[in-house]
Amino acid sequence: MHGSVYLAKRIGLAAGTVFVAITLNFILFRAAPGDAVSNLSRVPHASPQLKEALRHEFGLDQSKWEQYWLYLRELAHGNLGISFADQQPVSHDLGVAMGNTIPMVLLGTVIAILVGVLTGTIAAWRRGGVADHLNTNVAIAFYSFPTQWLGLMLLILFAGVLPTSGMVDEFAFNETWWAHVQDVLKHMVLPSATLALTLYGEYTLIARSAMLETLSEDYVLTARAKGLSPGAVVRRHAFRNALLPTTTMVALSLGYVVGGAILIETVFSWPGIGRAVYQAVLQRDYPMLQGAFLVLTLSVVLFNLIADLLYFRLDPRVTE
Amino acid sequence: MRLVRERPAAAAGAVLLALFVLMALFAQWLMPYDPHQQVGPVFGTPSTAHPLGLDDGGYDMLSLIIQGGRISMIVGFAATLVATVLGGGIGIVSGYFGGATDTVLMRITDYFLVIPDIPLMIIIAAVWGPSLWHIVLVIGLLLWTGTARVIRAQVKSVREQVYVKRARSVGASHTRIILRHVLPQVAPLLVANTVLTIAVAIFDETALAFLGLSDPTAISWGTMIEHAFARTAVSAGAWWAVVPPGVAVSLVIMACYLLGQAIEDATNPRLRVSHLARRAFRILPSRPAASEAR
Amino acid sequence: MSILEVRGLNVWFDLPEGGQLHAVQGVDLSVERGDRLGLVGESGCGKTTAMLALMGLLPPNATVSGEILLDGVDILADGERSIRPHRWVDMAIVFQSAMNAFNPVQTIGRQIREPMELHGSARGAGARRRTRDLLEMVGIPASAAGRYPHELSGGMRQRAALAMALACEPRVLFADEPTTALDVMVQAQILQRLVELADEFGLALVMVTHDLPVVAQVCDRATVMYAGRMAEHGTVDALFHEPRHPYTRLLFASTPDLYGDDEVLSIPGSPPRLDQPLVGCPFAPRCPEAIELCAEQQPAWLPVGEGHLAACHLNTHVPEGAR
Repeated sequence: MHGSVYLAKRIGLAAGTVFVAITLNFILFRAAPGDAVSNLSRVPHASPQLKEALRHEFGLDQSKWEQYWLYLRELAHGNLGISFADQQPVSHDLGVAMGNTIPMVLLGTVIAILVGVLTGTIAAWRRGGVADHLNTNVAIAFYSFPTQWLGLMLLILFAGVLPTSGMVDEFAFNETWWAHVQDVLKHMVLPSATLALTLYGEYTLIARSAMLETLSEDYVLTARAKGLSPGAVVRRHAFRNALLPTTTMVALSLGYVVGGAILIETVFSWPGIGRAVYQAVLQRDYPMLQGAFLVLTLSVVLFNLIADLLYFRLDPRVTE
Repeated sequence: MRLVRERPAAAAGAVLLALFVLMALFAQWLMPYDPHQQVGPVFGTPSTAHPLGLDDGGYDMLSLIIQGGRISMIVGFAATLVATVLGGGIGIVSGYFGGATDTVLMRITDYFLVIPDIPLMIIIAAVWGPSLWHIVLVIGLLLWTGTARVIRAQVKSVREQVYVKRARSVGASHTRIILRHVLPQVAPLLVANTVLTIAVAIFDETALAFLGLSDPTAISWGTMIEHAFARTAVSAGAWWAVVPPGVAVSLVIMACYLLGQAIEDATNPRLRVSHLARRAFRILPSRPAASEAR
Repeated sequence: MSILEVRGLNVWFDLPEGGQLHAVQGVDLSVERGDRLGLVGESGCGKTTAMLALMGLLPPNATVSGEILLDGVDILADGERSIRPHRWVDMAIVFQSAMNAFNPVQTIGRQIREPMELHGSARGAGARRRTRDLLEMVGIPASAAGRYPHELSGGMRQRAALAMALACEPRVLFADEPTTALDVMVQAQILQRLVELADEFGLALVMVTHDLPVVAQVCDRATVMYAGRMAEHGTVDALFHEPRHPYTRLLFASTPDLYGDDEVLSIPGSPPRLDQPLVGCPFAPRCPEAIELCAEQQPAWLPVGEGHLAACHLNTHVPEGAR
């Protein structure tokens, strides 16, 4: 199968999954039995004009199939409804929330990947030794800690030293853009650190396993037989090959990170999409829930596709 | 025992898990105090009478931990049961029959896999209402996919084995073959997967409890962490209300992970020699006189 | 005179449950320019381990003793450190499953050039040219250099592995069952090429195999190994026609199927465990000609003819009732 055919196939599959996800989203929130969920016009404290507008927009007095069609149409226009909580368009609220989540998650995952791959590789290289056992068991420990509990532990440890809630200090006047950035970064330390600590363990184990697998391949013995130093064997042959399964597994796990950040954002009151989901649940803000859920599902599909593409790029055997 | 020597991690995991299970079973007799009764001031500090201190309601933390283990582990085990039965069943059917059945089932599995677990659990739990059984079902309905995939792969390879083909040619029914040939082969992997799933189920229970979606009247490690957070244990400086439930959960998850991983390694005896390591082979200085008979 | 001489090679492997496996027990070897030596025996007899030990390609749980003299200098003296400089430039190896001997994510050409550039034999354009020459020499088109390993057939990969082994013009070439995984016709062709190249470059060839037709085709001398020890050594002719060890007799005396690639051995029983010290001759339990002495005392490695040695009591003790 030629390369571009493979690509087209994977993208097509992803598109199909997106469509199913969108439909499932609709079913879950609008077509499921139960009045509370499907009746979007029951916006608390809504004015009659708003109710009328909603009814018109989402066809709430029409059949489910009509609603589905309207839903798709509105989705194509980027209209995800109105949030019950603040009467703002869901797409706007989500945009802001995602904008807050992404930097924090990005920082945490980048650190987790770097530390994880490094410790995993070292553990594999010094297999059976102290470095291996130490790295592996510490990784397992952090992997076992409940995320929210880890966040609370960091809170306890750093309560006086670092900001523990919110994204910015509400009482500070950050006049310059740089002051604002510094403020945000200070607030980002603990949540990102929690994410990094909770994630890295899994990556250590993945990297270690991949490297051990690679080191037992015959071409490693051949490389050694050719007279390469152990370091050169690892750098030129083993690492590149171990990177293959590591990269794809890491990419796959990233799709779920944004959803998993819910716990962290709740502990640290970080105004991101995770916290938005949580608050939407508390406030029974169904349009917001539906929109957030859709975004999170799409992120999983996106990262699965990225994992596929990376694999395609890295492994010449794939075009077979 | 040889097991302890060869795989200390597995032994440690098994022992730890057994201890916690025993603790949960004999909770009533192990608890020093009634976990529902106030025995001191709110956030009382740890003392000899109360080694783990008191929580936000003045209840003894140690008793709470012991009692809480019950719910946490019951939910974990029950959810895993759902996931294993569902995932194992789908995996076996899919792997054994192949063809269209396989394709359809795998597509469905793929779609379930794409859905982010925690958000979905949150939404379902929120919509259905907080109750332990809802939690169990929700967790189980999302965790089955991992089991299904793993079991399916294994069943596919077992199916190709000679004795299965022979049984088919003799005319044995599918059910018989599955029960007598496929299942025993797949069982160890299923066990390993189950144990690993328990770890995830317990993790998910704490997450859902933390977000207020579990039964608030039930005492579990997850709700304990939630109470500590919601009732400002942190700002009160009462770390003893936060640390123990987390430690308990972590220990159980670690134990499951070590045990599950060890079982999985044992069923997959791929003796791969590492061709490269930091240490090199050793040299024995050879003695000038030949030590072997010449 | 001899390029490579091995004396008293012993290899032990640490076992995970404690104790050691004595995989190679006192092996000697000597090859000169143009020699073609076979190492023959059942799987597990230690022939591959012995050969790998000569290039120091053993895992960390191995312990080695003995002397490996390359041009008279013991390269085993410092272990890995003293052996490594000689890899590929003096001694090269072709592995059994060339399938995996190549790194799947690099082109064949790049992997052949690698040792050249590493050891300074050639660089850049010169290395590329030499790579193409080598590939044509082993009988595959030079365009294979730009291909990935999975794009070549098994036979082509094995030839490419041979080309790679010759990249730095070694003087000794080790081959570990180089054609076992291939079909018979391809096998014969590759072996033919191997012999031709060995002659052309005056290589000393040491080949490990359990396949007797291969020994007959390729080697002029052979050492038969059993349970980590040498059982007999001599010219292939002598081993075929005047075997002086019961094991050799069983191996060589049966008419080999020249185009079959089954294991020709069908001796009942199995080799002894190597994690325990052995009393007497290791082959005694399976030997149809064993006498009482065989179970009690280890036979000495003694000459039984010109360039012909064996370890068997029957060569020094005449059993009662015989003759």
